[in-house]
Amino acid sequence: MASLSNMSAQEISELLDEYGIKHGPVVESTRNLYVKKLKEAMAKGKKSKPSSDKTYYREEEEEVTYVYRTPPRSEMYEEGEPYMRSKTEWSEREYQNESYSSYSKSKPEYRERGYTHNMYDTPSTYSNSYLKSTASKSEVPKAQSSRLIPLWLQLIFFLGLAVFLYLVFSSMETNESIKGIV
Amino acid sequence: MSTTSQKHRDFVAEPMGDKPVTALSGIGETLGKKLEDQGFDKASVVLGQFLLLKKDTEMFTDWLKDASGANSRQAGSCAQCLKEWCDAFL
Repeated sequence: MASLSNMSAQEISELLDEYGIKHGPVVESTRNLYVKKLKEAMAKGKKSKPSSDKTYYREEEEEVTYVYRTPPRSEMYEEGEPYMRSKTEWSEREYQNESYSSYSKSKPEYRERGYTHNMYDTPSTYSNSYLKSTASKSEVPKAQSSRLIPLWLQLIFFLGLAVFLYLVFSSMETNESIKGIV
Repeated sequence: MSTTSQKHRDFVAEPMGDKPVTALSGIGETLGKKLEDQGFDKASVVLGQFLLLKKDTEMFTDWLKDASGANSRQAGSCAQCLKEWCDAFL
């Protein structure tokens, strides 16, 4: 740590930036304070680096818990069946990618249901797990490549539908405006 | 923050001009002496340090504790008083 006190002001200010400590100019009167703060941050930083991995796994565990929570709502699954069928292809793919990385023991079918439920009930849950699954995709490129075609078809289908609806909507508007003018 | 002292209200009420360092709330005779020994003879010099730390009260509190041996309450009171002075006059 003796090296810190020999560092130039610029080096110290760069280190402060690195550790995310807000700081002003490093001058004689502030130098000691910043060096002290840096030492504290460095001591913490060494400890917090391995623990950050742990928090990542804890988040994943949380996800599992709300997946298990869902079975009581199975009536809703039956109601929303036609809508969800179209979505299961998405989730199935993402689920299996995910399960390769961390959930090899979990049952895909069961998770599928829970997934669609969560998506249906709480959009935030959906986006959370969606983000995670996309992240895991990059980790498991092999599994993705074999199932790429359905994803494309889905995207094209939804895009086409969106364009079609937009065209219908815009043509309706122009008719109305023409009537208004006449 | 805790309720403000008369000293705090007096300091925040007007420009600090050439007030001594002991005019700052939380800085009494003893702490004032220690600060003066380090060259912080006027309240405005301490303000300068506060501004160098980008008006970060936490940083300033830590610095004041180190520099003068103030306790957390004294340092916090001084930081609060400088912060409010800046809000009013800067």
